Amino acid sequence: MRIGRNAGSYVVPLLVLMVVAFDVPILLMLAQSVLSPHPTVAHWAEFTESPIYFRVLGNTFQIAVITSAVCGLIGYPLAYWMRGLGGRAQLAVVTLVLLPFWISILVRTYAWIVVLGNNGFVNRSLIGLGITDRPISFLYNQLGVTIGTTNVLLPFLVLPLFAAMLKIDERLLQAAATLGAPRRAIFWRVFFPLSLPAFAAGLVLVFILTLGFYVTPAILGGGRVPMISNMLDVLINQMPRWELAAAISTLLLAATLALYGVYRTIAARSAS
Amino acid sequence: MKAGRLTALVGIVTLVFLVMPILIVVGMSFSSASSLQFPPPGLSLRWYRSFFGDPRWVEALVTSTMLAFASSIVALVLGSAAAYGIVRGRFPGRGFIDANFMAPLIVPTIVVAVAMYLALAKVGLLGTWVGLVASHVVLSVPFVVLVVGVAIRSFDERIEQVAFTLGASRLQTVTRVLLPNLVPSLASAWILALIASFDEVIVTLFVAGVYQTVPKRMFNELVLEVNPTITAIATILIAVSVLAMAAIGLITARRGGLLKTMIGR
Repeated sequence: MRIGRNAGSYVVPLLVLMVVAFDVPILLMLAQSVLSPHPTVAHWAEFTESPIYFRVLGNTFQIAVITSAVCGLIGYPLAYWMRGLGGRAQLAVVTLVLLPFWISILVRTYAWIVVLGNNGFVNRSLIGLGITDRPISFLYNQLGVTIGTTNVLLPFLVLPLFAAMLKIDERLLQAAATLGAPRRAIFWRVFFPLSLPAFAAGLVLVFILTLGFYVTPAILGGGRVPMISNMLDVLINQMPRWELAAAISTLLLAATLALYGVYRTIAARSAS
Repeated sequence: MKAGRLTALVGIVTLVFLVMPILIVVGMSFSSASSLQFPPPGLSLRWYRSFFGDPRWVEALVTSTMLAFASSIVALVLGSAAAYGIVRGRFPGRGFIDANFMAPLIVPTIVVAVAMYLALAKVGLLGTWVGLVASHVVLSVPFVVLVVGVAIRSFDERIEQVAFTLGASRLQTVTRVLLPNLVPSLASAWILALIASFDEVIVTLFVAGVYQTVPKRMFNELVLEVNPTITAIATILIAVSVLAMAAIGLITARRGGLLKTMIGR
C-alpha cells in the first residue's frame, strides 16, 4: 500500500529528540551508578549497607500501601455511586472528578495547608464544635502526606474503574435478580468479580504513582516524612552524591517498570 | 442497579474530599486577613495586588508563559508528525517506538529529573533555555501523540488514498486533506501540552538553573513559609486550567471524543 511506504519517516524528528533528550540520559544514569569513576559496585554497596536508605524505602512503601488502600476504600463506592446516576448528574460528577486532573499538583497540595493548618478550616471547626481545645497537627507528618497523596491520586483509580463499571452488562444483574438472588449476593457474586480487574489495576496504578511522588511529600511532609524522591533531591542538589542518586533512581525505575508490567497485564484482562 | 444510601453517602463525601480544597483556595484568595483564616473575615483583592505588584512573580509568569508556548508548539509539531508516522507507517518496531514516546508518562518524573540533570550537566546545558525547553517537550509530547494519534486512527485512510490517486504528493495529502480535518484534535492536543508545561514543577526545579517559573517559585516559597499571596497565584492557575478544560470541552463537544480518551476507552 502506497500510504504506508514512507509515512514512517514522519516519526524521525521526534524519535531523534527522544533518543537525545530522554533515552540517552536515562541510559547514562544507569551507567553512572556502576561505571563512575571506573567500573565499581561501591555505590550500590553503600546503598545496601546504610540503614537510612532502607528506612526511607520502607517509609515510601508504607505510604504507598496506605494510599492505595484508602483510595480503594473511598474510590470504589464513589465509582459505584457514579455508575447509578442519571445522565445530567453523572456528567456533572464526572466533570468534578476530572477537574483536579487539570489543576496543578502544587495547587492541590497547597490547598491542604489551607484546610488542615493549625488555623485552617478543619481545626477551627473542631475547636468551634468543642471536640478539641488545641489544634490537631495534621501537617508535616505522615498523616498529612497520606491525605494529600490520596487526594491527588484518587482520580487515577476512580475514572478507569467507573469506565469499566459502565461496561458491565446490566442484564447480568437482572438475570441474577430474576433467579432470586438478594441485592447483597448480586453485588458480591456478580458485580464485584466483574469489576475486580479494573479495581486491581487502579490500585496498582496508585501504588506506582505514590512510589515516585515528590511534590506532595516535600510540601506536606515539611522534610519530616522523607520519601525516595525527596532523598534523590537531597543527593543531587545538596550533598551532592550523583552516583548514589543514579543507583537509587535505577532501582525506582526498575520497580516502576515491573509494577507497570503487572498493571498492563491486569488492565488487559479487564478490557477483554 | 442503583447504589444504596450508604454507598451514595460515601460517594458524596469522597467527592467533597476531592473538590473542597480547590474551592477553599479560591475563596481564601479573596480574603482580607493576613493569615490563612477560614472563613475569611472580609473580602479584598490584596493578594492579587501583592502578586502583580511583585516584579519577581511577574517575571516568573512571563518566563512560564514563554516556556509553555515554546515547548508546546515544538511538541505539537513533532508529536503530530510522529503520530502520523506511527498510525499510517508500516515498519517494524512501531509499537516499540510508540512506547518510547509514551514512556515519560510512566517513568517517575523524579527519575526523569535526575537523568536530565546528570546529562545536561555533562554537556554543559544545565540551566540553559535550550535544555529547559527540550525537557518540557519530552514531558508534554506524549499527550500530543496520544490525542492526535486517536484522531488520525479515526480518519478514514481511504480519503488519503483518493488524494494520492488523484496525484497529490504525501506532503499535500497531509497538509491539505488530513490536517484540516484534525483541527479540533490538534487544538486539544496543543492546549494539553501547554498546560502540562505551564504546571510542570519537578524537572524544572532540577534543570532550570536561574530561570524562575511560577510553579518553581511557588514550590520554593511553600517549602519555606506559607504566604497568602500563593492563594492568588493558585486561583489564577486554577482559572487557567478550568478555561483550558472548557475550551477543549467546547472544541470536542460535537465529537464527544476527548472525554472518552481521558477515561481510557
